[in-house]
Amino acid sequence: MLFQDKVAIVTGGSRGIGKALVLMLAQEGANVAFTYAKSVEDAGKLSLEIAKLGRKPLALQMDVADFDKAKELIEKVKEHFGRLDILVNNAGIIRDKALMMMTKDDWREVIDTNLTGTFNVTRNAIVTFLKQKSGAIVNITSVSGVAGMSRQTNYAASKAGIIGFTKSLAKEVAPYNIRVNAVAPGFIETDMISGLKDEYKEELKKKIPLSRLGKVEDVSAAAKFLLSEAANFITGQTIIIDGGLFI
Amino acid sequence: MPDLENEIRNMIAEIVEKDPSQVTLDAKFFEELGMDSMMALEIMAGMEKKYKITIPEEKLTKLTTLRETVAVAREYLEKNNA
Repeated sequence: MLFQDKVAIVTGGSRGIGKALVLMLAQEGANVAFTYAKSVEDAGKLSLEIAKLGRKPLALQMDVADFDKAKELIEKVKEHFGRLDILVNNAGIIRDKALMMMTKDDWREVIDTNLTGTFNVTRNAIVTFLKQKSGAIVNITSVSGVAGMSRQTNYAASKAGIIGFTKSLAKEVAPYNIRVNAVAPGFIETDMISGLKDEYKEELKKKIPLSRLGKVEDVSAAAKFLLSEAANFITGQTIIIDGGLFI
Repeated sequence: MPDLENEIRNMIAEIVEKDPSQVTLDAKFFEELGMDSMMALEIMAGMEKKYKITIPEEKLTKLTTLRETVAVAREYLEKNNA
């Protein structure tokens, strides 16, 4: 197992890509703490699944946009598990609108959760990583932040911000044996794209060179690689997982 | 009680690569000894390991001179012994 007895945190872990990340880590031997915003029932079910895999779960309902709550998260994880080895910043929301229709709140909520949330959790975890001179971080960004996407100025800005954050932090903490990378999913079959019309999805598939939408496991597989020892010499990178759409 | 002042002085001197005699009680870490924030963290982690104490992250900004640093170490050593 790649992460035997390591301790991992996944933010926004109860559903979608986050859930796949949590399960991947547990399957690879890690004890996993995950945060969730609203999905109490999903979080409970996922905790059970982790326990069934023989690993210890810790589910925490919190808003990553709150710096003090992020601080509590790290303290609780260290108290509960005694250490921290892996951080996956996955929590994210969308408020898609044309810019001319976008409110200040649409903008602020997306930036606060996606970008500031990544800062909040990482900022509170980084001292632990620095002290132990080890750690692996993967940030979940998006092709929207790489290539841009109409009606997603807020989301794309937050995700592009995460890529800059990833690169800068990678340089800053590399001397301390901490690696920081990102994965940028394209169209993945999750609740986040469930709002897209079926005809649009069919059109999309035609445009994607690998002729299908992504699965959450496609994303967790890339994160698994980046978090593992196999990626020992890789830091500051963003892997795009989109079936070739944005080549 | 260990000889905190000299032990911590030697630790700091090693991290900032200076002679221990330059690490006077009031020599300013950042301005006079060329320390950076990562070095300050190494000092904090070094003290935690050596004295088996846990120093809250907020105290990092207090580590500006040997005098202050020894005071922080002493505070948490005393808490441990209490």
